[in-house]
Amino acid sequence: MKLRAGWQSVVSVLLILVIGFLVLLPVLFLVEKTFNVGDPMSFPADKHGTGNLLSLFTEDFDIILNTVYVALMATVMAILIGFTVAWILTRTNVAFREQLERLMEVPYYMTPLVGALAWAVLAAPKSGFFNQAWHAVGGKGDLFDIYTLFGIAWVMALFEGTVAYVMISASMKSMDPALEESARVMGASKLRTTLTITLPLVLPGVLGATLFVFAEMLGSFAAALVLGIPGRIYVVTTSIWSTVEAFPPNYGKAAAMGLSLFLIMVAMLGGYRWIVTRGSYTTITGKAFRPRPMDMGRFAWVLFSICLLYIVLAVVLPVAALLLTSFQTFATVILSQATFTLTNYSEALSLGPVRTALMNSIFLGVCVASVGAVTMSVLVWIIYRSRAPGSALVEYLAMFPSSVPRMVFGLGLLWAWINMPGGLYGTLWLLGIAYFTVLLPLGVRTIAGVVLQIDKSLEECARVCGAGWGYQMRTVTLPLLKPGVIAAWMLLFAASVREVGASLLLMGPHSKVIGPSIVATWANSGTQLTAAMALIQTAVVMVALIILFRVTGSTRRELS
Amino acid sequence: MKGSDGSSARIEVEDLVVRYAGDVVAVNGVSFCVGPGEHVTLLGPSGCGKTTTLRAIAGLEPPSGGRIGIEGRTMYSARERINVPAEKRGVSMVFQSYAVWPHMSVFDNVAYGLRVRRLSAADVKKEVERALELVQMRHLADRAASKLSGGQQQRVALARAIAFSPTVVLFDEPLSNLDAKLRAEMRVELRELQSRLGITSVYVTHDQEEALAISDRVIVMNVGVIEQIGTPEQIYNRPKNRFVADFVGSANLINGRVKGTPVNGRVAFETAGGAVLEVVAPSALSGRESEIAVRTAYIGMGADAASGGNRMPGRIRQRMFHGDFVQYVVETASGAILVRQPPVTLVDEGTEVTLSLPPEFCVLLEA
Repeated sequence: MKLRAGWQSVVSVLLILVIGFLVLLPVLFLVEKTFNVGDPMSFPADKHGTGNLLSLFTEDFDIILNTVYVALMATVMAILIGFTVAWILTRTNVAFREQLERLMEVPYYMTPLVGALAWAVLAAPKSGFFNQAWHAVGGKGDLFDIYTLFGIAWVMALFEGTVAYVMISASMKSMDPALEESARVMGASKLRTTLTITLPLVLPGVLGATLFVFAEMLGSFAAALVLGIPGRIYVVTTSIWSTVEAFPPNYGKAAAMGLSLFLIMVAMLGGYRWIVTRGSYTTITGKAFRPRPMDMGRFAWVLFSICLLYIVLAVVLPVAALLLTSFQTFATVILSQATFTLTNYSEALSLGPVRTALMNSIFLGVCVASVGAVTMSVLVWIIYRSRAPGSALVEYLAMFPSSVPRMVFGLGLLWAWINMPGGLYGTLWLLGIAYFTVLLPLGVRTIAGVVLQIDKSLEECARVCGAGWGYQMRTVTLPLLKPGVIAAWMLLFAASVREVGASLLLMGPHSKVIGPSIVATWANSGTQLTAAMALIQTAVVMVALIILFRVTGSTRRELS
Repeated sequence: MKGSDGSSARIEVEDLVVRYAGDVVAVNGVSFCVGPGEHVTLLGPSGCGKTTTLRAIAGLEPPSGGRIGIEGRTMYSARERINVPAEKRGVSMVFQSYAVWPHMSVFDNVAYGLRVRRLSAADVKKEVERALELVQMRHLADRAASKLSGGQQQRVALARAIAFSPTVVLFDEPLSNLDAKLRAEMRVELRELQSRLGITSVYVTHDQEEALAISDRVIVMNVGVIEQIGTPEQIYNRPKNRFVADFVGSANLINGRVKGTPVNGRVAFETAGGAVLEVVAPSALSGRESEIAVRTAYIGMGADAASGGNRMPGRIRQRMFHGDFVQYVVETASGAILVRQPPVTLVDEGTEVTLSLPPEFCVLLEA
């Protein structure tokens, strides 16, 4: 026991050092750059000052306004979508509820980048499919213009709506139906029960989701990039990117923007956590109830259509638009004028840089997922099962990257590794390190979900039966963990392949990956080629996810 | 038995202290011994430290002080800085959640401890079948463990715990997840199994009825310390203090003061209501404010002068029919007294009665 405790301490101290290094180093450099007003390339800075921060409010105030405006609008829309759908799917007798619940997960797996590209194809001024159709039936002017602040917010809301839905429906499902039923028994009407019991109980959940979504919106990047650049509309994240890519790059300003964004997100997520832990009404018991659904009569079909409409807007239309575009030489919705071709796909798969990028992404995905699944399993075991000192610190460090926007994290990493000896900058290694770090929260959360479900006494019993640590791990812990580890592998792989934010700044000429390449193609070549690339990327991600659902679905049945 | 140092105890716990992070003291200086073949139960309300004590014996909870010896071997000692890991202690345990591994068959579950000990496949098969036979589960050996009912899982957990013929088995509230009927049945089976296999056991429960029924000795615990150790009869008939009297069985607690000095272990006790009773007292200080306990089952009740000493007049305020017994609330000068009588005759509410409190069952409690 003494020996093992010592061994555990060594491992957890090592983990704290490695994870701490990976996670905190970029932030350190971010702070350093923010206050560096001297030579931008020198480290440590030869001159410190607050000039960079102050210039945000004098020169770039419109960018801050844009960001807040887009994030606010998108949050309101996303919460509206999430709340409505959550209420319909948990509290009413809507038809095909189970199927709809499944479908609601799909937008989550479409990337915002793909969604934004698709909506650009659908609703761009003049060339967008909607506007083409409008002109074809004799309409004048443009019906829609997606290249606006509202357009950006709209696309962000569509794809974040499913996150809001998951969070809000979780708080609705965890509410004991007896709380409402007792109000009804006391003589309260449906409406009165909803207003006096349901809403107050669900409110902390909705408020938490709002803060969480708002923080995500502030840090989101892909939609603002694809839809904002044509109209020269910048938010903080895209402005960081253009500041770094500009010549000469203004690193100080980029760092100042990144740091401010990071701090605001930390505050938001802190508020979110405070609400979630403090607002622990008895509703949050971790136990899932299936509340008695309200009978909506004929109105149920209206509710069904609302859910379906969301799926159509977030999944069906975007995918259809991309598919149609990817098989054409010139994107048009007027099928009589269309010429169909496979060139886009053959080009995407044969074009040197594109093919390399795709291969690099898949290679990185496999490596990051394999290394990540193993390391993060050990990490989770240390955090939740060992009594090793500092396990709380390990957990905090592992979850830390979730409060840093990917883009900003990439920025910090960029400087951290430019200054680091070993020449990792510009190689796939650096991208691998970046992916591992930004995906830590995802992997740890996934595996932890399974670890926490495994009753501790299952492991203890093995020990009492005489099994040593290794034997217990091999015969009990790992077999029980298998579905969680596989799930984590697939999720890490999918997340690596679709990564854009952190990759964009870290990609070098010899380490191209698919996400940023899609962005580059969008900016420099045709819509059709971009659509084909986006669909190929989506297909790779989907294959991984389908395997995931097959595996976890079957193991879950086995274990239940 | 290896390394026996002459003491006859199978399990020795000395001044055990278990502290959790944040300075919560779960177990605060607990000492007891368990003899060979003895069945000892740790009884107490939730949070009293009974499960923590058991887990410390198993090696699953690191203590902060004291000593634990099993079969003469020191398993934990704060002074000697010894802490033998759980898998090296050779004890067995049945968990409250059963901890039946869902990814294995019934056979593999039961075989686990045998395979860890590297028995030959033939021996493993023989021993597993023997263990499953004992719990009447042999016909389900090939069933996946995840497809068992609660009662069946309980039996598998039990078979697994005894399969490798351990001399010491620890039970952590093994019956608490079963329904009342099944629980009563399993109690009988468990007691039979214990004596048939001659195992030494420590059993944890919060169910006082269960504790009295299946143990050779009961250890009543509260807030991390031992309140009383004794045979079930001693605990029931001679509770040491208010906590034990109140927690185990059903008792009346009567306030008053001691008059005079004890003679032959008996002393006069004046209740707050003015009645003078003869009570059992090992030692008592005269004039001290104190309390006595009388079990509700030992109080006699008659329409007029009932036989025996310590008579008390009263009036029945409430009658409740429980089936196995009838409970009366009798209003007396010394307060309301609960009386439990066999349900042979029923006395109406409002009737004037005389209670008799047998002196040998009126116990003066430690303050």
